[in-house]
Amino acid sequence: MEVKRFRLGKATAAVTAFILAICLAIPPAASAGREDAARQFIASLADRAIQALTTADIPRAERIRRFRTLFNDHFAVEDIGKWVLGRYWSRATPAEQTEYLRLFEDYIVASYVDRFATYTGERLRITRALAEEGERATVFSEIVLPGGGKTPVRIDWRVESGAGQPKITDLVVEGVSMSTTLRSEFGSIMRRDGGKLDGLFAVLREKTAAIKAAQ
Amino acid sequence: MKVLYADDRGRAGWPVLGALVLVLGLVAGCATAPDPTDREAVVEFQQINDPGEPTNRAVFAVNQVLDKGVLKPAAGMYRHLVPPAVRTGVGNALNNLRSPVIFFNDVLQGEMRRAGVTFMRFVINTTIGIGGLGDPASDMGFPYHSEDFGQTLAAWGVGEGPFVMLPVFGPSNPRDAVGLVVDFLVDPINMWANNTDREYITYARGATRAVDERARNYDLLEDIERSSLDFYATIRSLYRQRRVDEIGNGETRGNVPGPGVTETPRLNSEEVSQWK
Repeated sequence: MEVKRFRLGKATAAVTAFILAICLAIPPAASAGREDAARQFIASLADRAIQALTTADIPRAERIRRFRTLFNDHFAVEDIGKWVLGRYWSRATPAEQTEYLRLFEDYIVASYVDRFATYTGERLRITRALAEEGERATVFSEIVLPGGGKTPVRIDWRVESGAGQPKITDLVVEGVSMSTTLRSEFGSIMRRDGGKLDGLFAVLREKTAAIKAAQ
Repeated sequence: MKVLYADDRGRAGWPVLGALVLVLGLVAGCATAPDPTDREAVVEFQQINDPGEPTNRAVFAVNQVLDKGVLKPAAGMYRHLVPPAVRTGVGNALNNLRSPVIFFNDVLQGEMRRAGVTFMRFVINTTIGIGGLGDPASDMGFPYHSEDFGQTLAAWGVGEGPFVMLPVFGPSNPRDAVGLVVDFLVDPINMWANNTDREYITYARGATRAVDERARNYDLLEDIERSSLDFYATIRSLYRQRRVDEIGNGETRGNVPGPGVTETPRLNSEEVSQWK
């Protein structure tokens, strides 16, 4: 008995040491933790968004209000807005920057909110998460859409968790980044107007109003 | 939840038109190059990669007229009148007819496993799937994927070249335009139709593909046009991003430029070549 128990203990120790060695050899625990955190963040946000936005009978004004709250709480709105404006951001006056961020937020809220109205109960499946340089992580997910055939649509969430609370910096759908697409559009308007913000402001106001009026 | 999903599976190639377009592209007007001393502007100009922008915008405007006048109403009627099950069958059949071309490109890219999947799909769907109307292969572990010669050229290291808006065929670039022509020429069904004086089959198939494709993206395009500030710039950006994704078979990920700590795109060398 004594001998047997001793042997078992030795074997357990060896196995433990082996597992430990593997764990130490594999990526630092910090990145694994960041991946889990990012994954949980996206999963809970998806649940919350579905609850808040997809109830069929809420009035549109309320839907917009809820979407704006979710957007501001979980997206790095200011960082996205700055990056989308690109090199024109640093040239703008503080007043212009404030006005720009306000119009940017309005435009995004107006153009994205109705995309949730047609939601019919599909589940977002998170496939994996990947820690990247800095405090970044990407969460990979997919969703099967009605009428979209058998192939699910891939959605990658880029998450930045610098100062505690994680925030989404970009959404990549089938390889198409929302931020990159916005940046190319905004840049196009800015170049057309010779780098002046007034034109962009006018287009943003006009477009936001048109989207709101269309519903 | 509705998301952006641009599927550019179907773009038939008419060699004559392709050649015409390339000539047109060469004669095209050029965008004003930025002041070479303004480094940021030069970088931006290169990233957008659209030196023929004024001509491309003009072609886009014509394409929009054609779309609003012909293709969009046709796609709308198709969606409205034809039941979803039939439309799915038509889409499946069109995919199945493309199998030889996809197989050809899988092989040329050295993707033997994917070539095997394409081959199995063709065999299963043509037989059990009744001439390709059904897609039992997907349920048997052989999911659909698309390939084209533009992607093959990219896999061989050919760069995209400047962005070009083709008449009728839409967003493209010299590499992908050549791809369209090659895919058309190697398609066994086209070969057979053209060699047996049945060109009408080629035209009918092309038209069906165009309508099917347009119907599939009907809501998506509506949504993009409704919400975008500059529809042309959006389409250009979507096309270029989708192509990078398709060339990487959906696996090119991580560390692409985006909002965050720095402005500089941090790419590895492989991605740099794809973004250029």
